[in-house]
Amino acid sequence: MSLRGVRSFHPAVMLLYYVVIIIGFMLSQHPIFLMVGVGFLLCTQFLFDKGRQLKSWLGMILTLAAFILILTPIFNRRGNHILFYLFENQVMLEAVIQGIMIAFTLVGILLAFISLNQIITQDRFLYIFARISPQWALLSMLAVRFVPLLKRRLMEIEEIQKVRGFSVTKGSLKERVKNGMLFLQALLTGSLEQSIQTADSMSARGYGQQKRSHYQAFPMKKQDAYALLFILITGCLMIFGWWLEDSVLSLLPVLETTKLEQRECLFLANWALLLAFPVWAEGKEVAKWKYYLQKI
Amino acid sequence: MEILSAKNISFTYPLEETPALRNVDFHIHKGEFVVMCGASGSGKSTLLHLIKQEIAPHGQLAGTMFYKGEPLHNETPPQDIGIVFQDPENQIVMENVMEELLFGMENKGYRTAVMRKKVAEMTHYFGLSHLLNKRTSELSGGEKQMVNLVSVLLLDPDLLLLDEPTAQLDPIAAKEFIQTLAQLNREFGMTILMVEHRLEELFAVADRVLVLDQGMKKMDEQPREAVAMLQDHPVLQYFLPSSSRLFLHYESEVIPENIPITVREGRDWLRTKHVDSREISQIEEHSAPYLTLNEIDFQYKRNTSPILHNLSLTVKKGELLAILGANGTGKSTLLKVIAGILRQQHGKIVINGEKTKKLESGAVSYLPQNPALYFLEDTLIAEYKQIIKKHKQENGEAQIHNLLSKFGLTALKDRHPADLSGGELQKAALLGTILENPAILLIDEPTKGLDPFSKRMFGDLLGDLRNQGLTIVMVTHDVEFAANYATRCSMLFQGDVSITESTSDFFKANTYYTTVMNRISRKTSATPVITMEEAKDNWHVQKKSSSS
Amino acid sequence: MARSKKVLLILSFTLLLLLCCFPLVINKHYMLVSLLIMGVSFIPFMYRFSKQKLTSRELVMLAILGSIAAVSRVPFASLPSVQPTTFVIIAAALVLGPQSGFVIGVLAAIVSNLFLGQGPWTPWQMYAWGMIGLMAGLLRNTLFMKQMLGRCIYGFLIGFLFGWFMNLWFVVSMINQISWKEILLYYSASFYFDLAHAISNVVFLLLFSNAWIKIIKRFKTKYGLFE
Repeated sequence: MSLRGVRSFHPAVMLLYYVVIIIGFMLSQHPIFLMVGVGFLLCTQFLFDKGRQLKSWLGMILTLAAFILILTPIFNRRGNHILFYLFENQVMLEAVIQGIMIAFTLVGILLAFISLNQIITQDRFLYIFARISPQWALLSMLAVRFVPLLKRRLMEIEEIQKVRGFSVTKGSLKERVKNGMLFLQALLTGSLEQSIQTADSMSARGYGQQKRSHYQAFPMKKQDAYALLFILITGCLMIFGWWLEDSVLSLLPVLETTKLEQRECLFLANWALLLAFPVWAEGKEVAKWKYYLQKI
Repeated sequence: MEILSAKNISFTYPLEETPALRNVDFHIHKGEFVVMCGASGSGKSTLLHLIKQEIAPHGQLAGTMFYKGEPLHNETPPQDIGIVFQDPENQIVMENVMEELLFGMENKGYRTAVMRKKVAEMTHYFGLSHLLNKRTSELSGGEKQMVNLVSVLLLDPDLLLLDEPTAQLDPIAAKEFIQTLAQLNREFGMTILMVEHRLEELFAVADRVLVLDQGMKKMDEQPREAVAMLQDHPVLQYFLPSSSRLFLHYESEVIPENIPITVREGRDWLRTKHVDSREISQIEEHSAPYLTLNEIDFQYKRNTSPILHNLSLTVKKGELLAILGANGTGKSTLLKVIAGILRQQHGKIVINGEKTKKLESGAVSYLPQNPALYFLEDTLIAEYKQIIKKHKQENGEAQIHNLLSKFGLTALKDRHPADLSGGELQKAALLGTILENPAILLIDEPTKGLDPFSKRMFGDLLGDLRNQGLTIVMVTHDVEFAANYATRCSMLFQGDVSITESTSDFFKANTYYTTVMNRISRKTSATPVITMEEAKDNWHVQKKSSSS
Repeated sequence: MARSKKVLLILSFTLLLLLCCFPLVINKHYMLVSLLIMGVSFIPFMYRFSKQKLTSRELVMLAILGSIAAVSRVPFASLPSVQPTTFVIIAAALVLGPQSGFVIGVLAAIVSNLFLGQGPWTPWQMYAWGMIGLMAGLLRNTLFMKQMLGRCIYGFLIGFLFGWFMNLWFVVSMINQISWKEILLYYSASFYFDLAHAISNVVFLLLFSNAWIKIIKRFKTKYGLFE
């Protein structure tokens, strides 16, 4: 990802963007809306890293989707259109559509979280968090800083104790569990003692004497204001569409046709515009670089 | 101008009867570089922490300290005293270097623009710019300590306190750190008060040496005077620079101004002398190989570069082999491969004629770099009992008892390992490994954080164990320690052992990577030696005029 | 102080109960309602901590305990479904009280999600572990929690409750027309995981709670923290 892509926007703006997207997925209960949404998010993923991150989540996403696709029609029998009989149980069209919509909502939300995690990385997340609650953010930052340290210490303990004949990988279940806990206990004792020095180093550098200031690592820029405006307008339109029930497919009492009316098309276009934001921001950069390289 | 002074400082920790400090008086002038030293438990750290009010220990304090004419320990602590602690790792609060540097300034409410300017200036001056975006957990020990120093300097201290800042660093990083301090002092007039026991290079840069002994001020002198006064001290004489110790051993008439405190002064002094040296005879022991490593290859992951490559090494029974080498040459990895913690991808390891795969665990004991992690139980004695139970030792109790008294740990046997000093902890862990009754003892960087006296005690224990037939392989940065206690030395370079020689040959052949004594005695009339002991045994030093 | 604690206890229980039961009563916008209820019961505690004055030693101690809870599953990587995070939170809460127990629980969730990636489950996990710590802390001076048996019962119940609660993010946000059958099916799918969690809680509490409580207490008194 280049310096000027989606990541160049202020993390708070991007967080708001993803909150709006997730709300969009929960509200827009219409197969076409949902499919368009999933399509755009997949596109975003591909632009980010050619889908590498997606691959590691694929198993979980597909299992959950399949789980819902199969189970919803089996347990949900409300509806007017019988598709076929499965072991003398009627399978309803409405339930199948319902299953598809739930599955797509889930996949959409998970995809949104995957790209959220890529754009709002740990440090950016904590940066936003620090604005909301400095104490919580500082505590989380400390903990985040401790994790690699603790992991390394734990690995050292495991190595040292392995030579002494204490292991978590060999022996009976009881022994393994017991050894594992003994290692954690050693980690706890050691780390608590050592943490006193961390605390002293904090106090020695003036922690807790006055109100802290915050280093603005991500100043608000003009493009952030535009992006914010864009998100607010498209977001409001999206909620308006939901309120008019244009972006919702009604299943009961009467199954609505999935074909879209004119006004519904307008809201779909709005939804697509909202979703296209990262695709546009990233794609623009990709194109620019290709052009730039050709020119040299 | 006086910046800090103390009048009759006494301090007692809660629940303790003997005071940690007794009637200590001292004063420090602006722009001075003062080194404070003392044996462990002398109260030097306590005194240092009392000056930094925010972290002053709880307890009974009597007497007053004055900072810039104002008494300390009022409501608001002075904002311009900075402190750097011993452990580079534990002082770090944030996940990446930039945030770490900003932490102190954010605490003091600086504005973003000011912070940017200061960080830019400082990282440029100290050459840390390339580290700014790194995670703090990825830095080396020396880099971490530099980041700690800079993050304190960013708050513009007038007085810089340092609590054994180089104890955990390798010799090269330590030297660099001390040079940076000397530069701060000389070029920017920074007042420095530093607690330290690595004094070899420090006496040359210090203006004064403050010595504490059992909570009392023993002396407050210029370095050369301090050397003269400490020469017979049972513990602190080992802290002195090698040049000074050599001089004091051979000169009966001691005038402080003449005492050498640097390598150069030591060599100059030696050149004025006529030295009769005995031919140093080498006793080559031809014992059979006990541990053999054959063509070992090791890499952590398939796509990372190999750490050990085609490495072969032979260790003889009853020897103490020291493996030396720079950071990242794979010293610790090699030890872990021998210990069976890591598995080599290629090559075999044979101990006493048997492949390690067939050996039961317990053939090898491993004393880690951080001995605190060796312990799983609440007290030393519980740990040792656990070991003899696990190894089904006969007369285990008696053996524990013997070793405890031999190691001088009997009084500490019911203590929690976390409450021991560095030297005690190292000995306590060594005792544990001995109880495991190993064929080979592996030791990783044993002198980290130990003061010279504890090092000596530890080295002597290793010597005794070796004389009783224990085979020891030790990885270390500490050239002096290796020269004093190893029988042979190996140099690790690019994942392979580049050379293995007897300790004496090894260091005499090196020009730069060698001991202080070797550097002093080279290119003089004396036969080069590598340790003080060797010089004492072999040299007869006379005045030049009388002999020629 | 004692009264406000009681109020907190009752409040948090009621809200938890409400959260578990409302899908049966209201049948629209479950996700929104559940987030709302969570927020209402959660934010006061979050806010209370963010206004609390802590020394750096106390802050660091909380951070260490939270991150130990988060990394505690590392040595058990070879033993799936054994992870002592809940145990660590309970042990810490039994020494340090409800507020700190809550903070350590929430922190453990934040930290592990910061490393493993945020998901729709993040707020639920924060809530669940936070409440486990809070309750253990509130009950710490009762006869029930002072006995090993009581602690183990708490651990066992919490093991199941945690699993059920964590299923909610899925059930509530995904299945619009909830029927008992679907819920039961989904819950039975997670039964063995929940059972393993419950049993490992009991085992850890039985074998290690005294030792861990002793270590944390020793440290707390040695440096005079949280007094």
